[in-house]
Amino acid sequence: MSADFLVEIGTEELPPKALRSLMEAFAESLGGAVADARLEHGDVRAIASPRRLSVIIESLADGQADRKVAQKGPPVSVAFDDDGNPKPAAEAFAKKCGVAVAELGRTKTDKGEWLTYELAEPGRTAAELLPELVERALSELPIPRRMRWGDGDIEFVRPVHWVVMLHGDQVMDAEIMGVRTGNVSRGHRFLSDGDVTIESPGQYLEALEEPGYVIADFERRRELVASGVAKAASDAGGRIVDGELLYDEVTALVEWPVPVVGTFEDKFLDLPREVVISTLTGHQRYFPVEDENGELLPRFVTVANLESKDPEQVRDGNERVIRPRLADAAFFWETDRRNSLANREDALREVVYQRGLGSLHDKATRTAGIAKALADMLDSEDANVARAAMLAKCDLLTGMVGEFPDLQGLMGRYYAELDGEPPAVAQAIGEHYQPRFAGDDLPASTDGQVLSIADKLDTLAGVFTIGKKPSGNRDPFGLRRAALGIIRILVECELDVNLKALIDAAALAQPKGRIDAAEVAAELYSFITDRLRRYFLDRDASLRTETFDAVLAQAPASLVDFDNRLHAVQAFTALDAAESLAAANKRIENILKKAEVDDPGAVVEKRLTDAAEKALHSALDGAAAKVEPLLADRHYEAALTELAALKAPVDEFFDEVMVMADDETLRNNRLALLGAVRELFLQIADISRLSID
Amino acid sequence: MTSDTARPRLTFQDLILTLQQFWAKQGCVILQPYDKEMGAGTFHPATFLRAVGPEPWSAAYVQPSRRPTDGRYGDNPFRLQHYYQYQVVIKPSPDDIQDLYLESLKAIGIDPTIHDIRFVEDNWESPTLGAWGIGWEVWLNGMEITQFTYFQQVGGLECRPVTGEITYGLERLAMYLQDVESIFDIVWADGPLGRITYRDVYHQNEVEQSKYNFEEADIDALFNAFDHREHDCERLIEAGLALPAYERMLEASHLFNLLDARQAVSVSERQRFILRVRTMARAVAEAYFASREELGFPMVESVKAAAGASS
Repeated sequence: MSADFLVEIGTEELPPKALRSLMEAFAESLGGAVADARLEHGDVRAIASPRRLSVIIESLADGQADRKVAQKGPPVSVAFDDDGNPKPAAEAFAKKCGVAVAELGRTKTDKGEWLTYELAEPGRTAAELLPELVERALSELPIPRRMRWGDGDIEFVRPVHWVVMLHGDQVMDAEIMGVRTGNVSRGHRFLSDGDVTIESPGQYLEALEEPGYVIADFERRRELVASGVAKAASDAGGRIVDGELLYDEVTALVEWPVPVVGTFEDKFLDLPREVVISTLTGHQRYFPVEDENGELLPRFVTVANLESKDPEQVRDGNERVIRPRLADAAFFWETDRRNSLANREDALREVVYQRGLGSLHDKATRTAGIAKALADMLDSEDANVARAAMLAKCDLLTGMVGEFPDLQGLMGRYYAELDGEPPAVAQAIGEHYQPRFAGDDLPASTDGQVLSIADKLDTLAGVFTIGKKPSGNRDPFGLRRAALGIIRILVECELDVNLKALIDAAALAQPKGRIDAAEVAAELYSFITDRLRRYFLDRDASLRTETFDAVLAQAPASLVDFDNRLHAVQAFTALDAAESLAAANKRIENILKKAEVDDPGAVVEKRLTDAAEKALHSALDGAAAKVEPLLADRHYEAALTELAALKAPVDEFFDEVMVMADDETLRNNRLALLGAVRELFLQIADISRLSID
Repeated sequence: MTSDTARPRLTFQDLILTLQQFWAKQGCVILQPYDKEMGAGTFHPATFLRAVGPEPWSAAYVQPSRRPTDGRYGDNPFRLQHYYQYQVVIKPSPDDIQDLYLESLKAIGIDPTIHDIRFVEDNWESPTLGAWGIGWEVWLNGMEITQFTYFQQVGGLECRPVTGEITYGLERLAMYLQDVESIFDIVWADGPLGRITYRDVYHQNEVEQSKYNFEEADIDALFNAFDHREHDCERLIEAGLALPAYERMLEASHLFNLLDARQAVSVSERQRFILRVRTMARAVAEAYFASREELGFPMVESVKAAAGASS
């Protein structure tokens, strides 16, 4: 027998940013627990609103299947006497299993023969198991800070007030989080009459909606929010400005979404667009509205949690809130500009960047040094980027960025432009935090790219120097993101520079810390190459990790070069010759290792005796001559295609020639020949790593 | 604009009186403001110290709050360096504390079927008090009117049981209820002796105190006074006098706020000052706990007995 199962944890208002992940984690964890407990079931559905976390499990069995559990008794040798009569050991085992000795079975292995019995274990009922499973799932939720309330010891994300637990139409009687379970949920705080009786899991969502005034299904509520605000914006003569994050958060703040359009004064549209948007979206979670040309309108859409008896008052109230906030922003915009960014440079000395890493001024100075080194590598003009580096953190001292931290960089750009800084300086300042998140734009200007890399490298090298590199899931400085940002810019903007030299420069620029510069550089290089592997594998699903390893083994100094080689090796793996050449490389590596010859020297042509080795030698010479100019131009793919022609002579060599000849001269010459083959491949990548075995 | 019937024009003092009545009826001790400068109602010993230890406690009071850096010489319609909080603390936090709070809003004329009232996550952390809690800011049509917190730790000590704290922003509520655009236009009293506004009561104070906070406060004297209070606080804790020691901490905290307004504390020094105040707050919390423990936490039994007798 099976029936749908529902559990609803009724709470005080849950944290909106975490709601979706809590909801999903609860369903996943409970679904997993139920499966582990051998309760058969159908789909598992996650549900959440500000005051509830719920899971519905369809067609959940009402109990575990019975099963037989093998019991192992004493060895037959000690269980019976010579006449075959049971001794006490056999009787005790039979008693434990609740049967007569005659009913016991025997199992024979190469270690001997034992008495055994298949004990029937009746399955436990779902009613017995579920309270425990629900508690366990709740205890596993990813709650950053659990809280207590009242005088209890129970800890959860917010105080728990009611728990509904139904299996079909049966209430499962239990205590969860200190609350007696039942079938009474609660509707909307203000729109409903309070209690809502749930007859069965299948009727849960409907009952909450009517009469409960709660749209409990997160996705459906999100759609209502999205379509509601879109319609409201269009009624107000515009459209909603893009911004995915706000939808989830607003959905997590309402049980009964009702869009409300508000207006603010035109004069605030003189502020930078991003400032207006941040003011609306930041604290207030209002949706900004623009016209069809993308120009902001003096309107916003907010989503109330209420069908108000007097919607005008809701609108009026929200308009009153945003006015002083916009006025504050206008105030900062006005007063910040009285002091140029350059004038703030000295004040950076007063702001601690990080313990052990000096002030923001120290950071800016180091960043400027790294940026200049990078600009020099690129043969790019370094005056603008050095100035931008010194000014890039100055906007952190402005009132606007103090109020809207998200606008860092962007405000620096606006203020630099108003200060009359060169456009390239302003642009580099504005771009230097990019990419700020996965999929974000990269800096468009070379100066912006250089500054962004220098800033991130300084952060990485600095934090590594004070011994705080990330461990496990903890990455408080966002170093993984910074490393990925560096990789993306170098590869995607094709900045062909020596990454190792750059890392060395960044490590040497740091103040003396717990870790010395050489170690920092080594750790940082491997930290970045770890991200690099992830980056390339994410970029191309068909890329094999062995292909990456083949290139990594040669540790190309430039990531652009790395990327070129990767493409070439990947194309090579599609060639017919690839597999056997990979195997041959592996074989050569093993032979050379085993032979323990440090340096077999150069191949001496006249010592070549067999036809196959002569053929290989001449093929190798021919290939080398063709490949060398290709390598100089980094035409790795063409080079590997040339090298693929070595397949036949290499195969033939191994078929015909005995490498480990008794004659030492002959042997060494052959080892030298194989070494030369391998060396040629290694100029591109370590092809032996592609070998299947 | 909205009609007068929808928003009853409670005067500022009516608002306070209504809240006092409401929470008195719920059984809270109605206290008076603490006679020391402090940045928030949480600093009142009736909140900070009473949150420590196992003894039950419920109180409500108005607390004048001073934030010297928020002064705007009386020019800004939304910011003051001296304003009022209405503070309610109940320990242990009752199951229906949110409902009680919503009832109090109805009592001051806010109808939750008209206005969009929401509890929006806003956890509280006070580095100077070594305290943190979980809770919300309460929105009234998008405007923050109340801070709602379940204390988890105070002065570095775990809160067992948990104190529930409700802090109303009185000026904001009054502006809303009276439909005025400036704090100074709030009607404070409107009786047979005339109509008195917030401006009449406090504008000059804002102008002069802002001038003091930003320009006149004697920096050297403030630094010296801070050192002295810190020293005194330590001495008083040694002497087992938790409550006088706590007052020295309050004074030090306010002195630091004044130094901050005078921009006399560099960014790096700032952190150190906060740490010094926190060290005092922790030591006081521990000393207070020890002194109550010595008394046998008398209110654990007395409150229980009284609650039994009255029910």
